[in-house]
Amino acid sequence: MAQVKLDIFRYDEAVDAVPHRDTVEIDVPVTMTVLDALETAKAEVDGSISFRRSCRSAICGSCSMNINGVTGLACKTPCKTVMNKEGVIQIDPMPNFQPMKDLVVHMDPFWDKYTRLKPYLQPADRDEDHERERRVSPADMKKLVDAANCVMCATCYALCPVVSVDPSFAGPAAIAYAYRFIEDVRDSKKNERLAQINEDYLWLCAHCYACSYCPKHVEPHDRIVDVKRATVEAGLLLDHPGPRHALVVNKTIKKTGMLAETEVIQGTVGRFNFVGLMKIAPLGLRMAAKGKLPPPFLKPIPKVDEVRTIFESLEVPT
Amino acid sequence: MSTTLLPEDQATDSHRHSKSSEMRRYGFFPGCVAKESCKELFNSTMLLADKLGIELIELTAASCCGASVVNDTNRDIARVLNARTYAQAEALGLDDVITICSTCTGHMRAANKELLENEERMTQANSILRKFGARYDGSVMVRHLLWLLIDDIGLDNLRKMVVRPLNGLRVAPFYGCHIIRPEKVNGWESARNPHSLEDVIEAIGGEPVDYAGKTRCCGFHIQLEKDGVATSMVGQNMRIAKDRGAEAVITPCPLCHLALDGYQQDAAARWGRTDLPTFHLPQLVALALGVSADKLGLNKHLIDPRSILVERELIA
Repeated sequence: MAQVKLDIFRYDEAVDAVPHRDTVEIDVPVTMTVLDALETAKAEVDGSISFRRSCRSAICGSCSMNINGVTGLACKTPCKTVMNKEGVIQIDPMPNFQPMKDLVVHMDPFWDKYTRLKPYLQPADRDEDHERERRVSPADMKKLVDAANCVMCATCYALCPVVSVDPSFAGPAAIAYAYRFIEDVRDSKKNERLAQINEDYLWLCAHCYACSYCPKHVEPHDRIVDVKRATVEAGLLLDHPGPRHALVVNKTIKKTGMLAETEVIQGTVGRFNFVGLMKIAPLGLRMAAKGKLPPPFLKPIPKVDEVRTIFESLEVPT
Repeated sequence: MSTTLLPEDQATDSHRHSKSSEMRRYGFFPGCVAKESCKELFNSTMLLADKLGIELIELTAASCCGASVVNDTNRDIARVLNARTYAQAEALGLDDVITICSTCTGHMRAANKELLENEERMTQANSILRKFGARYDGSVMVRHLLWLLIDDIGLDNLRKMVVRPLNGLRVAPFYGCHIIRPEKVNGWESARNPHSLEDVIEAIGGEPVDYAGKTRCCGFHIQLEKDGVATSMVGQNMRIAKDRGAEAVITPCPLCHLALDGYQQDAAARWGRTDLPTFHLPQLVALALGVSADKLGLNKHLIDPRSILVERELIA
């Protein structure tokens, strides 16, 4: 047994103008999870402490919260891994959400983004027309398993730095879940789904891997890349900064062996997109004043033919 | 390239020093940005290598690592481009490929991991490399210069080499995502709470600033995707650093450097003025090790770092 001091964010949107913190001291076995410690605190010390939980086994995804500033499932976090020398564990609601009461947050923006992508199978024909179930080969199913493991705990959404400054971004979970249907052989709306998810700023993913902390190993960052690739392979929305960027980077590497910054910037913004070019001009001028502009043209690296051979051997014909 | 030797007592240091008796040679992958808009990073890396007494052998025929973007269209191409680079290092008898960019580090390590852990992928890569007479045998290890400083030079040695300690300059570390995440690819230190940059800042006489933004994203990869998003990510992180008392920022990644140095001005509208000068890792270490500030390209930064160095009496 050890004494654990839960330093808890307290707030009730119905009555409090500002949040405050309470410290609740309890004696628990250190092998206990943070969720069980919260349950103990609620049962034995202060019944008003509010938090979401259901299964206590990392299946339902209800109890994601910030534990010492790190977002994760309380039911999957043993106290001994997070308590400091004084036994203190700081507990806060998930960031990127509006707090409702204590550790409970308003999940609506997160659910809205799920709903928009129609998270259900849309086959081409009616079930009634089938004599038996629609079958999926083990190989096809294997592609979906990771994404289908999502328990919608919103840990990735809370950790996403893009969501934190621009809530219009779909966020990692919704895109990963879209992938689960995009790659499902029984679904018939692949292109519609891709168009929708592109509209919700698929390409605004910053490649930061903050969502690699997913407690269910969905690896949302990899699924986002899968969806981007499916978009490009389907030849969709190619006149958009995201796909343009991907394509021009490939083009300059194939040509010079290097990522040619000047050409990439022009190609991403659009060479004749004068409004876009004007927007980046001030920074360009500041860089020019410091002699920091990348060279306009690059000399190809030695043996650039080898790089071209690699591209030509692996490019998927479109 | 260099004739400087490490201090004599280095052999007794507890760090890994198998190659300590002779000048250590490393394959060097500078990456595209250090050869284009951040040439000051390339130059200060070479000057630092001189001071450290190591030889960085540039892989001049290496291509771009894929920069996390080639993956968006074709994962195989990104992997085989890197296999070609590793084959070049092996052909030169070099097992270490040293990077100076967080994005290069993460993506090259990811490609290497895929090659080493999956025979099919290695076979696929070699079947293409064979077309131009190259072959990758899987002996390469990709490491960032930051890790080299700690593993091969050692913090104790680094401390002894300092001739111009930073006088307690309060420096905020900014890691850049791809040097720490995903942990299964990098794994050199905790991605949640890394401290290698703090250790280096301390070793060269600075005072590391602890702040929530140090492991967050600079937004570089989406700077052209939608107005204001990357700018705001920079502003948010620099605001926290400034409020925690930072006077400057250090980063092992030139992409982060372009973002932090470039966008703070525009971020001021939403996050208030921060104006934190940002150093490339080798610039600040080289300065502490006695390289003349004039050679480090500090005049290339949009937020001039020289005034804070004058204030701290580090340069005249």
